[in-house]
Amino acid sequence: MVEHSTYSIIKMERKRFNFVRRISKLVQRRKHLFILLGGVTLGLVIVQSMEVAMKHTSTDEYCLSCHVHDHAGDSWKLSSHVDNKGGVQAHCVDCHLPPKGHGHLAAKIKHGAKDVYGYFFKDSTDFNWEAKRAPEIANGFTYESACLKCHTNLFPTTLSQKGDDSHLYYLANQEKMTCLNCHQKMGHYDPTYKHEHNKDFGNNSDENKTVYTAAAEVTEFKNYTEFIPGSSVSFNMKAIPAGEFEIGSTKDDSFSEKDEYPKKKVKLSRFFMAEVEVSWDEFLAWFNQTSSEGRKEGDAKTEEVDAFSGATPPWGAPDQGWGKGTRPAITMSHHAAVMYCKWLSAVTGKNYRLPTEAEWEYAARAGSKTAYFFEGDPKDYSNQTTWNKIFGADTTFIARYVIYDVNSNSKTQDPSAVKANPFGLKNMLGNVAEFCSDWYASNAYAKYPKGEVLNPKGPKKGREHVVRGGSFKDDAGLVRVANRDYTKTKAWLKTDPQVPKSIWWYSDAVHVGFRVVCEPDERVK
Amino acid sequence: MSKKDISRRSFLGTAAVAGVVGAIGTSSLLSSCNGKKSREELDLPPLLDRAPKGKPLKAGLIGCGHRGTGALMNFLSAGSGLTVGALGDVFEDKIHHVNDRLKKYKLEVPEERCFVGFDAFQKVMESDVDVVLLATPPHFRPEHFKAAIKAKKHVFMEKPVAVDPVGVRTVIATARRAEKMGLNVVTGTQRRHQRDYVATYEQVANGAIGKPLSARANWNQEHVWFRRRQPEWTDMEYMMRNWNNFTWLSGDHILDTHIHNIDIVNWFMGDHPVSALGYGGRHRRVTGNQWDFFSIDFDYGNGRFSHSMCRQIDNCTNGVGELVIGTEGYTNCKNTIYNLDGTIKWQYDYPKDKEGKSTGRVKIPPYIQEHIHLVTAIRTNKYVNEAERTAVSNLTAIMARESAYTGKRITWDEIMNSDMRLGPKEYHMGDVDMEFETPVPGTAIKS
Repeated sequence: MVEHSTYSIIKMERKRFNFVRRISKLVQRRKHLFILLGGVTLGLVIVQSMEVAMKHTSTDEYCLSCHVHDHAGDSWKLSSHVDNKGGVQAHCVDCHLPPKGHGHLAAKIKHGAKDVYGYFFKDSTDFNWEAKRAPEIANGFTYESACLKCHTNLFPTTLSQKGDDSHLYYLANQEKMTCLNCHQKMGHYDPTYKHEHNKDFGNNSDENKTVYTAAAEVTEFKNYTEFIPGSSVSFNMKAIPAGEFEIGSTKDDSFSEKDEYPKKKVKLSRFFMAEVEVSWDEFLAWFNQTSSEGRKEGDAKTEEVDAFSGATPPWGAPDQGWGKGTRPAITMSHHAAVMYCKWLSAVTGKNYRLPTEAEWEYAARAGSKTAYFFEGDPKDYSNQTTWNKIFGADTTFIARYVIYDVNSNSKTQDPSAVKANPFGLKNMLGNVAEFCSDWYASNAYAKYPKGEVLNPKGPKKGREHVVRGGSFKDDAGLVRVANRDYTKTKAWLKTDPQVPKSIWWYSDAVHVGFRVVCEPDERVK
Repeated sequence: MSKKDISRRSFLGTAAVAGVVGAIGTSSLLSSCNGKKSREELDLPPLLDRAPKGKPLKAGLIGCGHRGTGALMNFLSAGSGLTVGALGDVFEDKIHHVNDRLKKYKLEVPEERCFVGFDAFQKVMESDVDVVLLATPPHFRPEHFKAAIKAKKHVFMEKPVAVDPVGVRTVIATARRAEKMGLNVVTGTQRRHQRDYVATYEQVANGAIGKPLSARANWNQEHVWFRRRQPEWTDMEYMMRNWNNFTWLSGDHILDTHIHNIDIVNWFMGDHPVSALGYGGRHRRVTGNQWDFFSIDFDYGNGRFSHSMCRQIDNCTNGVGELVIGTEGYTNCKNTIYNLDGTIKWQYDYPKDKEGKSTGRVKIPPYIQEHIHLVTAIRTNKYVNEAERTAVSNLTAIMARESAYTGKRITWDEIMNSDMRLGPKEYHMGDVDMEFETPVPGTAIKS
């Protein structure tokens, strides 16, 4: 042990003291400099750790670490964004965040905050992952700028003529569509997805079933079951008595819109109406008996000559993979629905057609005068009111009768899921929206003739047709009896890659279908 | 229609924009001081007297008819180091014809690099040429252009670039492809390389006539060549040798010749029409299924229009040219700008002869000027691609033709998205199982 003399200790202490004093003096004198230096150091540390944090939270491992969407990781690994000859890998953030310089950080903060909220406050088993893949939803968290960052050449030499045409179409309509409209299953592999003419569509006939040889004989005005000759398909028709009702809404009705005014008294003759929306079984009976590969055959000009020209094969899966059978048929065009009715009339010897708008509303109301044919007001059921947004909407009655956004799981449902209205009709509201025969005009009721209005057929001319009843996608406010909508031909064919576009199938409308009515002829007492 | 519409897209690609930014640094900053738009901003071609020296370039000619031969000669005279490496045509006699011309310059192409038949173009693409000159009847252009870009060749192609909307879309998509691959493309709309036209356009683009409002364009001339059928000719040989009289091959003369005027009007109006309504007919032709005359009303939107006429009948009033009227004056597009009262505001200054008189001709013929541009672009990396804008003018003419043939108004969207494709699906020298009727608009009176 080395002993220090007292002197040396004092000396050392003084030295130390002097050093501290010098330092503190320096700090005193250069206070601002040191604050600045400290700030810079702190800043560097923060930036550095931010950088690390940014990097860390941008890895695939981090994205998948919450274990709420393992399937996304699996399907991504099987997708062409990982599994490709070039060995190129597009990572989670490459698609789900815009590139730097296109709002990368803002998007990261937004999605990060949402994910954290969802992680702590929501039950991940409730998430409907499949529904999130629909382009209109997926566009909210998949960025076109990200696609285009890598895919700089939209016209590689290997692209087909159809591809060329489609990309030219995309460039001409860039503000209306994104890459996802056509390439929605690219990032996450889906073995069932096809983007081509589905020539096998509907070829699933069961040969063991009875094939009807004759249509139903209808001689009395009461409910009957129709048999489609040459198929094993039947469906129920309900007798809707003649009567008088008020079509439309008044301004005082909650959620009512301008095109529902003014309310008008309308008289209707009796008719039969299908219990449910035309099912895939029914629609495919027509498709299989009449479909054609040649696209010219369905030309509007030939309509008078040949009522049997049928639809061309659709692209991909019109049933969206939700199943066919008794589920309502969807995505057919208004024209296809009209042609279906003509064919059905011919094979059954009756007069089937689309309902007029007035017939439709009369049947949907079934004697009721309120927003729905059951109890309750849209204000109670809608999720659009502030109160309901916070405290949740009432679903007591509506969910028994209507497939709408709350209970649909984002798809059509089998008619057995709901109860009928007083006329015995199911799914008049919700499930799928239904074509009517009328041309749409926002002032249609105002233009009804003065005096007694009997069997109105709507405007003589128009561009789009009336669509009624709302669908599985809609809020309770849109499945009101009086709510009106119309076909949107251009938007509903947005991503049809064909030139010219199909007249049989809508590429971008999964929520529409139709229901038939039958006009009683002289044989019916 | 949106700004992002392909047809209205700026023809400067991003790469070109970068080049422009560089160039703006010097010349156009000066010009922008006096409010004048620079040549780069206006996308005007470089008008050199001769292409700069550089890497030797070998051309392959596809389509050895009169225009093909002419195009090859124009290419060879664009500068030094330019040669011909391959010839292709459906008919052998056409190849001999070109080689006879080339012999005079000792540039004859040896037999093993001369290809005959419907697949001749493919063999030219496979050869070691750097540039291909596409000058077959217009029907084949889109597929040839596509094959050329696939084979990584720079391209000079004659107008029209297609005879139907399917072909036009192929050309536009291929143009985009070429841009990505850095392959230069010049088209034979030579007025855009004619110095007087270019100078007049520069005036107009800088406001010399105010805002362009309406236009007139005409190509009225005597009848054009035709061939009568020889007994030994099959259907295909007859039509190919008489291609100028069959719509599926030439697109009809509203495309084949009047496209020049239509292209000028689109250029000066700064737009393409949104629709066309036209008529026409056939009185004097002796072969084929084309018409003799067309009269078209093009609607450019917002009240702006252009009247287009073209006719091929002998002993009528003839004339070829354009007229564009603006809010502050008008122009013949070629060399003169008038005030609204008819007085001359500006005139192009042509080179003078020995006696000091105006020659009335530009210094470098536009047919050579366009090849100088192509060679310059290749050698100096100043990218050029005129395919899309020519395709747009081409589609304008198709829209007009179809309106006249059918008697109906045709819109741009309809024609852009049409699946119309003319002609047989496969090509072989034999009889063709197709009717080639002369179109008659409307329907017969029911009596």
